[in-house]
Amino acid sequence: MLRKLALGGIRSRFRDYAVLFSGLVIASAVFYMFMALATNTKFLTSNSPIGMTPFIFGFGEVLLVIITMVYIVYANTFLMSMRQRDYAMFMMLGAKSRKIAQLIFIETVSVGFLASVVGVVIGMGLTGIAGNMLISMLHAPAAHFAVVWPPALIATFGFFLLMFVLAAFVNAGRLLKTPMLELLHASTLPNRLQQKPWKLIVQGLLAIVLLAIGYWSMTQLAKLQMAAIGIALITIVLGTYFLFNALLVWLIGLLKKNHAYASKGLHTFTLSQLSFRIRDYTKILAVVAILFALALGAITVGLGFQNAIPELANTQSAYDATTIDANAATQQAAAKLTGVTSTTRYTQKVTAKAVVFDQAQITARPLKFVAYDGKTSKHLSLTTNADLTKNMNEIASQLEQFRTPADAQRQIKIVPHAEYVALAGTTRNIVTYQVKDFGANYDAFDAMFKAQNKQLHVTNTQLSGQKMATYGLINEMFSGLAFMGFFLGIAFLAMLASTLMFKILSGASFDASRYLMLQKIGVRPGLLRRSVRQEIGALFAFPGILGVIHVLFGLQLFTTMLHDPYHNIWIPFAIFIVLYGVYYALTVWLYEGIVIKKDLAK
Amino acid sequence: MQNQPVVAVNGITKTYGKKNQKQFQALKGVTFNVQPGEFVGIMGASGSGKTTLLNILSTLDRPTSGSVKINGKDVTALKGDKLSDFRAKQVGFIFQDFNLLENLTARENIALPMALQNISHNKQVEAVNHIAKTLGIDAVLDHYPTELSGGQKQRVAAARALVQNPAILFGDEPTGALDSQSAKELLDTMTSLNQEQGVSILLVTHDPFSASYAQRILFIKDGQIGQELVHGDKSQAAFYQEILSTLGTFQQ
Repeated sequence: MLRKLALGGIRSRFRDYAVLFSGLVIASAVFYMFMALATNTKFLTSNSPIGMTPFIFGFGEVLLVIITMVYIVYANTFLMSMRQRDYAMFMMLGAKSRKIAQLIFIETVSVGFLASVVGVVIGMGLTGIAGNMLISMLHAPAAHFAVVWPPALIATFGFFLLMFVLAAFVNAGRLLKTPMLELLHASTLPNRLQQKPWKLIVQGLLAIVLLAIGYWSMTQLAKLQMAAIGIALITIVLGTYFLFNALLVWLIGLLKKNHAYASKGLHTFTLSQLSFRIRDYTKILAVVAILFALALGAITVGLGFQNAIPELANTQSAYDATTIDANAATQQAAAKLTGVTSTTRYTQKVTAKAVVFDQAQITARPLKFVAYDGKTSKHLSLTTNADLTKNMNEIASQLEQFRTPADAQRQIKIVPHAEYVALAGTTRNIVTYQVKDFGANYDAFDAMFKAQNKQLHVTNTQLSGQKMATYGLINEMFSGLAFMGFFLGIAFLAMLASTLMFKILSGASFDASRYLMLQKIGVRPGLLRRSVRQEIGALFAFPGILGVIHVLFGLQLFTTMLHDPYHNIWIPFAIFIVLYGVYYALTVWLYEGIVIKKDLAK
Repeated sequence: MQNQPVVAVNGITKTYGKKNQKQFQALKGVTFNVQPGEFVGIMGASGSGKTTLLNILSTLDRPTSGSVKINGKDVTALKGDKLSDFRAKQVGFIFQDFNLLENLTARENIALPMALQNISHNKQVEAVNHIAKTLGIDAVLDHYPTELSGGQKQRVAAARALVQNPAILFGDEPTGALDSQSAKELLDTMTSLNQEQGVSILLVTHDPFSASYAQRILFIKDGQIGQELVHGDKSQAAFYQEILSTLGTFQQ
């Protein structure tokens, strides 16, 4: 019987349960996604040149556990707020408290269990889709990457079940202690903004100090090593929470005191809506700010590593590919290149002792090289033998692309036209290629590279002087990191979206009655919509701004690994802000659909 | 007619349920007027159609046929922003369950209709203080609704309804959730508002005692107005007795 009642409760508030359930599903899916990487030590060590990667993921686990815990506690409060009236009613009808406790336990644990089962399945799906998409996009080997990873399964199930069993005990305990009448009439009581000013000031100062320490420690990675990440984790999470607590209370109080602003339109109402559940909001906003920073940071760093690959490769060779007497297979691959900016052709003669270029051809089309001193690269256009000799240090390895392993003992020379014509020896055709986007032509270059190596019997491909060789090497080093960045970025973004959506939609049922009241006393629907947009806008904007600041400082962590982590930073920021904006619009639309009635008469 | 009625209801019907489904006619042609400064009561049992009638009068619902004019304006034709503005300026409501916004203080609740019209802060304060004094709630203006008693909440609701000087005040069982003392006080206040300030009031109730404060009572049964009682010069006690005996026969 009681089981029937419990299920009946779910049916009667389907929408709220759908919000709760989908929120928890996303939370466990993301938890699984993260764990699929974090618990896969083989994957981490073979895909990152950085030794402490597993430890960094360890800190990530702690952070994700905190975030998920806040989420679950909040979801659980929401679940209880939906059910406590029903429970009180059962008690009033004579249900024994032991039975009620049992009911709460069954309900809470089964919600958690179902959500984590569905979540893990979705998590595996997301891991598979995002993982494989990224692997092919980045040409990342991603060795040992596994979609179904038992330790991650165990970790996710274990964590969620533990959390929900704990929640069930807390729920049952709290419910049985609260007087029945209070449960029956439980309405959301307003929080008076009565925090003492000195408390606000202390919290504000503490927030600034904590954030400053966190930001500073991220710049000191070289000195502090792992401690830098640990310090940053603790101080920034706490600092974010205190900052929102102090800042929001202060800001709302300030705006409310500003009569010219507050006494206009629905401003008082909007501000009161915000202050009404300020305590919930500060925790959720802090979580959202951290998730925002993690998602944006992960994507920015991922993009940074991805861009670093061609940038570094460009410092190793001026030409994207060079062919020597290209055979059919090589030519076929070359024909597939897109966005070719220039191709140059030379002939060379191979004599007993040298590989010889015609000065007339070289004068018309100078040979191009890159000189790289570890920091800056310089483009060289060389036309004479003397030039070659002078720059030999920088260009030696690049010259290899103009000869084959069989030429190892032959020196590369440029001779005057008349002398070239008179030389005896086999003539070879050299073609150099330059394209706009190397990464986009990865497959074609790879095919050319392989075909030519086979043709010319290149055994040590690293010594071929081709850009593809260095590109492949750098790709192996960085694409794993880029993969982790994008993968985690997607996961955190999903979690961010779900957290905000959950926070906002879970309050919608309570808000609906307030908005209906406002409509009854004659508030224009347009004004109500504006109030909704402002309220949700505040919830999106505050964590967004703080998240951006976190990322700007957080990128300091990567200065040792990336040449310039801030390079082209506007691209990921713009992408992210557009996504966030679309998400804001979607949330507002959904929320308005729930709380604002189109026509009262219907 | 020299005096245009504040509320003119003409032959309204309301049918629930779609065509070719089971239909239910809640109102079957209701016609009456409320003159300026009048205090009219509408009585009826549960299911008699009085709530439907009030919802239509207060523009929260539309009649299937017939017209409702408030201050000479046909409200059934209003839509969108015009309807909202009309509701905000011309009509005041008091509901049984108060309908106060629990996240605003009493003062903010009362000032809300004025804030919507972008009236200056100083004028808002002045108007709120004035109406609060009239209704005897000036001491609790900075409390939240959850910190007020039922009677105080209903006074705050009344203050919010009246602060814009509406053409008519609609009450939907305003004493329904109040104890007898608070109910009596609220009704006394409404009477004095009616007599001293000339506020027109339409009160829907099933409580004979509340109804006895009205000058005229319309009895509604099964979607139609069946009987009318006029207070006239009778004492309130006599009028109350008359209502009771009318109810006794009317409901049968």
